[in-house]
Amino acid sequence: MRNAAPSRAPKVSLRGGTPPARSPWRGGGWLAAGIGLLLLFPLSSPDAFFLDVFTTGFLLAAFAASWDVVGGVSGQITLGHALPFGTAAYACALLTSFAGWPLPLAVAAAVLLAAAVGAGIGALSARLVGPFVALLTLALGEIAHEAAVGHTFFSGPGGYAWGGEGGIPVALPWRDAPPFWSYYAALAFLCLASFGMLRFSRSGAGLILRAVAGSPITAQASGVPIARFRRLAFTVGSAFAGAAGAGFVLHVGRATANDLSLELSFQAATFAAVGGRGTIVGPVVAALVLHVLFQGLSLPPSARVLLYALTLLVTLRFFPGGVVGTARDLASRLGGKEGARPPRRRGRNRPGEGTP
Amino acid sequence: MKTLLSAEGITKSFGATQVLSGITLSVAPGEPVGLFGPNGSGKTTLVNLLSGLLLPDAGTVRFDGKEITRLPLDARYRLGIARTFQIPHPYPALSVREAVRVALAVNAGKRKEGGGTREDEEGPTEDLLARTGLFNQRFVPCAQLSQGCLRRLEFARALACRPKLLILDEIFSALSAADEGDLMALLRAANRDEGTAFLLVSHNPPLLKALCRRILVLEEGRIVRERTV
Amino acid sequence: MLLDGLFAGGTYALMAAGMALILGVVKVINLSHGAFFTLGAYVAYALAERGVETPIAAAPLAAVIAFAFGVFLGKSFVNPARTHPFALPVGTLACALLFEQVAQMAWGPHPLSIGADAPWIAPGGLVIRRWGVIAFLSSAALLGGLRWVLSARPGLSLRLIAEDEEIAGSLGMDVEAIRYLTFGGACAMAAAAGALLSPSGAVTPTMGRAPLLLSLVVVIVAGMDSVAAIFLLSIGLGIFGNACAWFLSPQWSYVALLAAVCLLLSARPAGIVALAGRRD
Repeated sequence: MRNAAPSRAPKVSLRGGTPPARSPWRGGGWLAAGIGLLLLFPLSSPDAFFLDVFTTGFLLAAFAASWDVVGGVSGQITLGHALPFGTAAYACALLTSFAGWPLPLAVAAAVLLAAAVGAGIGALSARLVGPFVALLTLALGEIAHEAAVGHTFFSGPGGYAWGGEGGIPVALPWRDAPPFWSYYAALAFLCLASFGMLRFSRSGAGLILRAVAGSPITAQASGVPIARFRRLAFTVGSAFAGAAGAGFVLHVGRATANDLSLELSFQAATFAAVGGRGTIVGPVVAALVLHVLFQGLSLPPSARVLLYALTLLVTLRFFPGGVVGTARDLASRLGGKEGARPPRRRGRNRPGEGTP
Repeated sequence: MKTLLSAEGITKSFGATQVLSGITLSVAPGEPVGLFGPNGSGKTTLVNLLSGLLLPDAGTVRFDGKEITRLPLDARYRLGIARTFQIPHPYPALSVREAVRVALAVNAGKRKEGGGTREDEEGPTEDLLARTGLFNQRFVPCAQLSQGCLRRLEFARALACRPKLLILDEIFSALSAADEGDLMALLRAANRDEGTAFLLVSHNPPLLKALCRRILVLEEGRIVRERTV
Repeated sequence: MLLDGLFAGGTYALMAAGMALILGVVKVINLSHGAFFTLGAYVAYALAERGVETPIAAAPLAAVIAFAFGVFLGKSFVNPARTHPFALPVGTLACALLFEQVAQMAWGPHPLSIGADAPWIAPGGLVIRRWGVIAFLSSAALLGGLRWVLSARPGLSLRLIAEDEEIAGSLGMDVEAIRYLTFGGACAMAAAAGALLSPSGAVTPTMGRAPLLLSLVVVIVAGMDSVAAIFLLSIGLGIFGNACAWFLSPQWSYVALLAAVCLLLSARPAGIVALAGRRD
C-alpha cells in the first residue's frame, strides 16, 4: 500500500504544514494553580456561607461539564439535562429514606439509573435534528419536573408525607458534615469527574462524537453508526450528571423538584455556552466563576436566573464560541492565522437534494 | 461473471414525481463502471439508494451475496461500499488528519467504541494522507480547505475502509487540472492495486471513457443504454 | 367545559399561526413564543387593575408592545444567530426565562386573576362566558385576516421567502427586514392571544409554557401551510386540554401536552426531519 503513493508532488499550498502549537495540556499550569488556590481557600477560615457556595459550585461545575459531553462534544443540544441529575437525586433520597439502602449502594444505583435514563433519552432523540432534540429533551425534563412537583409519596417512617414541593430527605449516615469535608469531597469529585470527561472527549469515541456533531452525514458515510454514538454520549453525560446529582443531595440533604427544573438544565447550557462548548474545561471554569459570583452576591433566585439568561444572550450574540472559542480566535488572529473558527454553516445542505 | 453489487427493479418517487423506475444494474468485483446522465436524470438519487442514504420504494440491492436493501449508509460503509459526496460536508472543527482517523477508527476492529490506540492508527492515517496528497495539510481544519482538497479528503475518507466498491458522485467536477489528474491517478491505482470496483457518476463523457470499462446511461429514471469502452 | 375548550382553542390557534409563520418565514423554532403570550396576559391584567376590564382594549395594546419587543428580538438576536444550531433554541429559551423572571419580579410569583364578567346562561343551562365569545370571535377574525393577507399581495413576499430565500433576495426584497417584521408580527399574535385569554384563568409568570407547547404540537402536526388546519387542530387540542384539566387536574393538561410533544417527536422523526429539511 505504501508504494502506491502518488508520484506527483501535491501542488497545493503549504499553509498549515506545521503541527499546531496547541498541546492538549497547555493550560495545565494554570489549572494546577487554580486547584491549588481552591485547596488553600478553606484554610483562610472563610465564612461557612462561602464554603457552601463553593461546594455547590463544584457540583454544578461537574454538572455543566456533563452537559458539555452531550451538548458540546456530541452536539446534541439537550435542554433536559436536569433529568438525569434529578433522577439520581431522587433515587438517592428514596432509596436511602424509603428502602433503607446503605448510602454507597444507593449512590451507585442512582448513578446507574441516571445513565439508563440518559441512554433512553439518547435513543429517543438520536434520529432528530438540531432544535427538535432541544424540544424533546425539554419536554421530557418538564414531565419529570411536573411529576416530582405533583406526586406526593406515601408517608415515610414517622408518618410524614414526602414529595411535592417539599422534596424528599436523604438518610445520611452522618449528622452534620463539617463544611470542610463537603468542600474537599466536592472538589475531589469535580477534579475526578472533569478528568474522566476530558479523557472521554479526547478518546477515539470523543473524536467520533465531535465528527458526528460537525457533520453527521459525513460521519455516517465514514461508517459511524451515529445513533449509537449519540446514545453513548447521552449515557456517559447522564452518568456524570447523575453523579453530580447524587453529590448534590448528599450535600444539601434533600432532593427537591428544583433538581429537575428547566432552570437547572438551562443553567448547564449557559455555563457551557459561556465557557465554550465542547471544551469541558471551559464550562467548568465558567460554572465556578458565574455561580460563585451570582450566588456570592446573595441575590434572590429569580434575579440569578435573570442574570444567567442575560449572560447567555450576550455570549451567544457577541461571543458565539464562548470564552475559550473567543480566546482561541484572538490567539490565532494575533498569530496571523485568520479565522480559526469555522465559518457559520448556512442551514443544512442535505446531499439528496443536490441534483435529483 | 461474479457480481459484487447488484440492484434489481429499484424504484423511487418523491411525492408525485417518479425519479427512478425499475433500475437494474450490476457491478463485478474490480470492475470500473461509469454512470452517465443529464441533469435531473436521477443519478444522485440512484447513488443515494445504492449507498444507503435513501431507501427504495421497491426493488432489492445485493452486495457480495448479501441483501442490503434496507441497510443504512454507515453499515454499508463497514461492509465495503464507500461513497463520496458531490458537495462535501466537512467537519468544521476537525483537522484533516482527525477526519481521516474517524473513518479509520470505526473500521479498526473494535467498532463499538471506536477504539484502537493512537499508534495503531498512525500508520494507515499517514499513509492515506500521503496517497491523497493531503499530508502537508494534515493539521489544517477541514473548514479551511479548498474545493480540491475537500475532494481529496472525501477520497481519503472513502478509501479508509479499504472498500470493495467506491461510489463516486461527480468527484471530478469543477476541479483544477492538477487536482483532477491526481485523483484520476489515485482512482486508477486503487482499481489496479487493490482491485477496488467503482461506480463513477459524471456528466463528462471523455472522463468516463478514460476511466471506465462499461458506461451506463441514465435518462429520466431508466437505464437506456449500456456501452462497453 | 366543551365551549371553554373551543374558545380557548380558537385563541390558541392565533398563537400557533404565529409560530407557524415564524417557522415558515424565519425558519426558526421560537421557544420564547410562550413568553409573549404571558406578556399579553399581564398587559390585560395591568389594564384591568386600572379599570379597563375588556380584553378588546388589552389585545391591541399587548400586540403593539409585543410587536416592538418581537422586532427588537428578531433584529438583534434571531436574525444574526439564525443559522447557528445551538444559539437559537437556547437563546430563545433564555428570552423566555428572562421574561418569566421579570414578570415574577414585577408582579410576584402568585397567580393573579382578572375579574371576568358574569357569564350568560343560555337556555338549557349552557354557560357561555363573555370573554370566551370575544376571544374566539376576535381570533377567528384575525386568523381570517391573516389568511387573506397571505393570499393577497403582501403575503406573496412572505410565501416566496418561505419557499426560496435566494430568489426572494434576488428580486430585491429586503429579506432580513421581512424576517424580523414577521417575527414581531407573530409575537404580537401570541400576545394578543394571551390578552384575549387572560380572563380564562390565573395569570402567572409561567403560564405561557403550556400554550407554547400546544402551538408546537399544532405546527408539527398541521404543518405551516394551511391556516384552517391550524385552527381546527388548535380547537381540538384546546378542548382536549380543558378536558384533561377538568377531569384530572390543571397540571395534567400541561403534562399531556408535553407527552404529546415527546410522542410526536419520537414516533415521527421522519416527518419532522422532512419539515426540518426545508430549512435550507
